[in-house]
Amino acid sequence: MTTTAKTRPGRSGGTESLPRGGRGDGSPRTGGHRGVAPRGKALLLVVPMLASLLAVSLYPVLRTIWLAFRNTSLEIQGDQFTGLANARHLAHDTIFAKAWRQTIEFTAVTTLAETLLGLAIALALARTFRGRGFVRAAVLVPWAIPTVVTSRMFSWLFDQNGLVNYVLVKLHLVSHAVNFLGSTSLALPTLMLADIWKTTPFMALLLLAGLQTISPTLAEAARIDGASAWRYFWRVRLPLLMPSLLVAALLRALDAFRVFDLPYVVTGGGPASSTETMSTYTYKTMFSGLELGYGSAMATAMFITEAIIAGVFALFIVRRLRQEG
Amino acid sequence: MTEPLSRRNFVKGVGAALAAGAAAPVLAACGSGSSGATATSGGKTTITFASAKFFAKSTIGQMVQLYNSSSKHVEVQYIELPTPSQSTQVHQQLVQSLSARDGSLDVFTGDIIWISEFAGAGWSAPLDSYFNASAKAAYFPGVIDACTYGGALHALPWYLDAGMLYYRKDLLQAAGIAVPTTWDELVTGAQKLLAAGKVSDGFNWQAKQAEVLVCDLVEFIGSNGGSVLAEDGKTVTIADPKAVEAVQFMADTFGKDKVTPRAVLSWDEEPSRMPFTGGQAAFLRNWSYVWSDAQDPTSSKVVDKVGVTTLPSFPGGKSTACLGGYQFGMNAASTKKSAAIDFLTWMSSPATQLRFATQLGLAPSRPSVYDQSALKAANPFMVSLRDVFTGGTPRPKTPKYSQVSLAIQAGVSAALATGNVQSNLSQVQSQIEQILG
Repeated sequence: MTTTAKTRPGRSGGTESLPRGGRGDGSPRTGGHRGVAPRGKALLLVVPMLASLLAVSLYPVLRTIWLAFRNTSLEIQGDQFTGLANARHLAHDTIFAKAWRQTIEFTAVTTLAETLLGLAIALALARTFRGRGFVRAAVLVPWAIPTVVTSRMFSWLFDQNGLVNYVLVKLHLVSHAVNFLGSTSLALPTLMLADIWKTTPFMALLLLAGLQTISPTLAEAARIDGASAWRYFWRVRLPLLMPSLLVAALLRALDAFRVFDLPYVVTGGGPASSTETMSTYTYKTMFSGLELGYGSAMATAMFITEAIIAGVFALFIVRRLRQEG
Repeated sequence: MTEPLSRRNFVKGVGAALAAGAAAPVLAACGSGSSGATATSGGKTTITFASAKFFAKSTIGQMVQLYNSSSKHVEVQYIELPTPSQSTQVHQQLVQSLSARDGSLDVFTGDIIWISEFAGAGWSAPLDSYFNASAKAAYFPGVIDACTYGGALHALPWYLDAGMLYYRKDLLQAAGIAVPTTWDELVTGAQKLLAAGKVSDGFNWQAKQAEVLVCDLVEFIGSNGGSVLAEDGKTVTIADPKAVEAVQFMADTFGKDKVTPRAVLSWDEEPSRMPFTGGQAAFLRNWSYVWSDAQDPTSSKVVDKVGVTTLPSFPGGKSTACLGGYQFGMNAASTKKSAAIDFLTWMSSPATQLRFATQLGLAPSRPSVYDQSALKAANPFMVSLRDVFTGGTPRPKTPKYSQVSLAIQAGVSAALATGNVQSNLSQVQSQIEQILG
């Protein structure tokens, strides 16, 4: 950002690249006036954006971190600085550890599956065929439905009397209804499946946009050079798609990490906390238990974990961009 | 504390001036002036009443109107909160308002499980000086217990709901099974109907890791003479032998007895209700709302085939129904307590409770109302709830109920899912002890 800010005034002319001098001599020349104003004006125009960013983004984060060191609770009316007491409590909170592990699992599995499936769908949709526009729009339907609604739907679908069990039993794939949501080993995978169903279209669309930036002349060139479709994909398309793919996966991973609606509606975090996620547990602590201090400590832990995830992705993305020079 | 009050009075004064002078139509149109205007008109004391939203043939607002037109001295302003289905929001709004201690709220209604919290925080005023022992004796003893914290009455009963046993009277009759009064009888009856292929679920209840699990738990443990917390509200008894035995029975329903589908671990009210009204289940533990669902011919296959009774108990224990419902509270910071008490007395009176029952379908907390013929005519089912509410039991009474509840939900869900009842309950016990400090 600093480099662009520095180079921009320079681009418009030699004299104008000296804002201090220009302002200092106070010459009435229009050229000199232009040279000063864009910078001051630009800063002025940026101020509301910066201010709102600070207000809606930085302030709440800092406030949450501040609360994480206090015993603030609406229920017992406490509000004192307690140092690392919340952090110590968190370290011994077995449900929190469980929720943290499960959230990581959920994020890893769904992001990977959604990226791979999304890529397959994007490759199919990138071809020209009749009714492509319609199919592209239709693919987005699952993603466009509010998650609370799909969550309700999933709890009906996967119930012991639900459609999924009905079909499985009718097809003789299982002898009696599978306990998808009431089993500690199946509940989380079922929620992952639901999330993959819902969010793959979104990934497909992002990747499709990435694919379309690849020039068709490259495909032609590859064909002329005698490359097989497989080779063309691995050597040309995938490397060129990589930056979009990484950014899409990053967005998805950060979003998946905050998963809330699905477990909250379908399982309530159970059975035996096996589908508790960071978001559901934090919500319960903060808004049902009204322990704002301890809940903020959880939110801060979430924030740190997300920052690490984002950092790892950023490392890959930057390296990728460097390779491209 | 006086500062916001004086500001309020200032606003009122402005409102009165506006009303008198009718000088500023723009401001008056904002609506804020109207409160001040009514406060002084006719010399009535204005109090504010916040309640979650209920509606059926009539609304809370209309009931308040009825009071306002009959009262010569008090004018009630009704603040509508979200519906009870969004109880987390209702709770937050009440907590925010009450914790400000500015008396901006005089009377409110809250979920029965918040009473100890509000009392412990000193937000709800004790009511014993207004309602003596004989006034309290006119309500079901269970709800008075729920409304009492630290030996003092902190809420006035409004309406009740409770857990009850729904059964298929046609199937029981045909198979010669008596309506069960013990859990053993229920299991035997359910197994008989399952073996005969009459139903696919024997006994449906709720074990989702949610508030409803605490309700079911209180009923099972209570019907074995046990409890979650002792009378003192501090000693944790959830891992005592009677409680362990009851939770073991809960696990056995889908474990060794096989009368309940294992999916019960993910069920709250609706998933457990659907197989029952679909004609696939013999017994169901649920709240009073299921009755009208079961009698609706468009969605129910069991119209006129359902009976309702009190939940069974263990040998030596007695039937226990977990109490739900909203009750009245008075803000301790209210400066208009006598007006507030006048309104509370009216709202909780037998005549008003009857009206709430017939117009809004809210079950009375006074046994005497159930004897009235008007109730029987309007809602014959509700009359049968009298027996259920007689065994009404509150959930654990502690100011830190919401934290205790979350610990119970996680711990009991783990006990049921893993089958390690004793060790999980011992763990919950130490967690609750830690929360209660």
